[in-house]
Amino acid sequence: MKLELGYIYIKDIQFAEESKVENGTLYVNKEKVKELVLEDEHFKSVEVDLAKPGESTRIMPVKDVIEPRVKVEGPGGIFPGMVSKVETVGSGKTHVLKGAAVVTTGKIVAFQEGIIDMTGPGSEYTPFSKLNNLVLICEPVDGLKQHDHERALRFAGYKVAVYLGELARTLVPDQVEVFETPTVKEGLKLYPELPRVAYVLMLQSQGLMHDTYVYGVDAKQTLTTMLYPTEIMDGAIVSGNCVSACDKNTTYHHINNPVVHDLFSEHGKTINFVGVIITNENVYLADKERSSNWSAKLAEFLGLDGVIISQEGFGNPDTDLIMNCKKIEAKGIKTVIITDEYAGRDGSSQSLADADASANAVVTGGNANQVINLPALEKVIGYTSVADIIAGGFSGSLHEDGSITAELQVITGATNEMGFNKLSAR
Amino acid sequence: MIITNNDWVYEKYKNYDSHQVIFIEGSYKDVLVKTRDKIHEGYELLTHPLSSSLKPNETPFKSIIISEIKDKLNVDSLIIIENSIMSWEKFNNNKLKLNFTQQIIEDFKLVDLTVLEGALNNK
Amino acid sequence: MIKVVQYINQFFANVGGEEMAHIPAEVRTEVVGPGLAFQQAFKGEAEIVATIVCGDSYFNENLEEAKKTILGMVKEYNPDLFIAGPAFNAGRYGVACGTIAAAVKEELNIPVLTGMYKENPGADMFKNKVYIVSTKNSAVGMKDAVKKMAPLALKLAKGEQILSSAEEGYMPNGIRVNFFEKERGSRRAVNMLLAKLAGKEFETEFPMPDFDRVAPNPAVKDITKAKIALVTSGGIVPKGNPDHIESSSASKYGKYDIEGVTDLTEATYETAHGGYDPVYANQDSDRVLPVDVLRDLEKEGKIGSLHRYFYTTVGNGTAVKSSKAFAAEFSKELLADGVDAVILTST
Repeated sequence: MKLELGYIYIKDIQFAEESKVENGTLYVNKEKVKELVLEDEHFKSVEVDLAKPGESTRIMPVKDVIEPRVKVEGPGGIFPGMVSKVETVGSGKTHVLKGAAVVTTGKIVAFQEGIIDMTGPGSEYTPFSKLNNLVLICEPVDGLKQHDHERALRFAGYKVAVYLGELARTLVPDQVEVFETPTVKEGLKLYPELPRVAYVLMLQSQGLMHDTYVYGVDAKQTLTTMLYPTEIMDGAIVSGNCVSACDKNTTYHHINNPVVHDLFSEHGKTINFVGVIITNENVYLADKERSSNWSAKLAEFLGLDGVIISQEGFGNPDTDLIMNCKKIEAKGIKTVIITDEYAGRDGSSQSLADADASANAVVTGGNANQVINLPALEKVIGYTSVADIIAGGFSGSLHEDGSITAELQVITGATNEMGFNKLSAR
Repeated sequence: MIITNNDWVYEKYKNYDSHQVIFIEGSYKDVLVKTRDKIHEGYELLTHPLSSSLKPNETPFKSIIISEIKDKLNVDSLIIIENSIMSWEKFNNNKLKLNFTQQIIEDFKLVDLTVLEGALNNK
Repeated sequence: MIKVVQYINQFFANVGGEEMAHIPAEVRTEVVGPGLAFQQAFKGEAEIVATIVCGDSYFNENLEEAKKTILGMVKEYNPDLFIAGPAFNAGRYGVACGTIAAAVKEELNIPVLTGMYKENPGADMFKNKVYIVSTKNSAVGMKDAVKKMAPLALKLAKGEQILSSAEEGYMPNGIRVNFFEKERGSRRAVNMLLAKLAGKEFETEFPMPDFDRVAPNPAVKDITKAKIALVTSGGIVPKGNPDHIESSSASKYGKYDIEGVTDLTEATYETAHGGYDPVYANQDSDRVLPVDVLRDLEKEGKIGSLHRYFYTTVGNGTAVKSSKAFAAEFSKELLADGVDAVILTST
């Protein structure tokens, strides 16, 4: 399967009468966006705002971050099974508004998740401070149930991202990258000597605000299976996970999966990047056993020499991670796992909820318990008063002057377990 | 068997024939400890105690499913519950004094309930 | 000017090798051995005001006295910083450095630093108590060691914030510190996998807690017919410690004949172990090596017999590698002698 990604670099975002992309600036018709969101009757009103790199702006609470893309050539559309039909994606041509993002905010439950600071110390810990963000603040109708609110907000984000992505359809990309994965048969012929490597991508799958969707299917319901890496680049996997801001994978993380990109950069040179094995993180222990058994089975079936395993979330996923690692290592296949840590505020506690000696190659996204001081910023988009009840926050964490003292946990994407960031710990 | 300190879970499942519900008038830790005691008696752990990404020092509610009948001691269950208790202790060294409004309490109960429902579906 | 007191052993002070390892602690006011390299590396910001030289055997065999004396010496100079070693892979030197550095830190509240090779038994023992810079495994690595130790030493003396182990060069000490790498995590993961696939060395960013589990053998079928041997890491030796098993960082084990011996007494046996209060073990070594009880069981027919030889070493600071090597050797003898089961005692 072969996909050409065409990047249109966005360096600025502004409201305008007509939505378009010109000379690297994304112009957005605010009213059109509002109209789109309000097509869903679950919302009674919506505000749309902008947050640009370097601005003294804080966005909180953040639910999801989505990148605008559009399928220009080839079967299917972006976010198959969600916004587009279920047709298999990942081939042809896709355009990307690189440097732009849609950010959804909203109080789905009273405890809140996720801060993005566009400047200051907090901006160092989130990749989204470098993007030109269109922020949606959607007010649900009174009495809306949390399930419906979450779903509505999720789809609002995708719809707006697709609307913006559409603006790139006829543009000439500033840069094109080609990604190609051969079939198993072709791969063996092309790269007989290269080590066969796959990416085991673990997906959060526990319930309300802890879900992931693959072609529209709730990951809780899935059996461990395979994807072409390029399917992910067309939005095959999207996030319904809004708990634990620092280590949840936003839809932006999924569509820009860094392990996929970095394995591709070695593909055909030092490794044969065979494909992606996706597996879930159900709470039921027998499901964990089954899913990890299948990861190991598929890895062996594919004749792999090595895998990179990434996880998502805190606590019980550590058990899935270790199960996947142990069982794959037991097949004689080498593993590297990517995780984050909760080593306590002083860094001295046991970082993971599970462990095994076979997990001898670990990359970490850092200690999420590290305390950070976020200065007051001029503008806050969203709801401020929630900082006290934000995960990783604590009473008194929102100071009178508007500054926040809280753990890294509160920053969206801070300790990402796909290895998106440079943060680490020793 | 469901061990829980969440009255929403108790109310929803108390009349099901397929399993018992043990309601704990106590904390998240009390639920973990009761579960551990049951495991020592020979019950098997069916869900992971650290369910949901809500940290043990954030949410006060916890529901855990164990087997209906007991057998020999299941060592895997024991290791998992002990690690979970250690995790609880690690997090509660940093006690977060959060101000819970009624809404927040209900939201925590809801997440605990929905995660449990997600686990019980098709079982 | 930052005042530094340094601790080195007889070898690095050019007093002599093993044969001079018994010399007690003494103070030199002139800069000695590695001190010269450190002084240069400090670039005028710090100076070594005194060097304490002590024999490794003396230190390890007279722990309490040596500590007391040396602490007194350090206190007199009231330095801003105490540096011990670097000890490279010398086991007793490493344990001495770790011990004295920890003592200075705890009792005199002075910032301390030491350095040694990662496999030095002193490393595992002390890396969570004091900063230990990771060095090469022999004095060939002195230049490299000083290069890493000097800047960290100055930071400690000045009370500056100490960053992660990867940035500062000390051994991971169980305290996780965040920092920004040059490359993103996924790239680091790919690099790590490429190294692992090629059989090359790589360093994990998070060492799993050490379990080192040994699967137990099946139970003895008939204990009343079994030949049982005693093995201990509690350091029980014949009175006088005829083979001079060291009180810590043991480099050997002993094999002793207890044919006809029904009870260990104060007159005939003692402990060589330097890691616990020896009073009760010296009074009655059966407390650590239960010969008397096993003789009773033998008489009562509850066990087949007590093997005539027992094997002993001192577990205090002895490298895991050494322990494994000792056991690999003498377990061959145990098998050849028809031993069915071993009772292992440790302290």
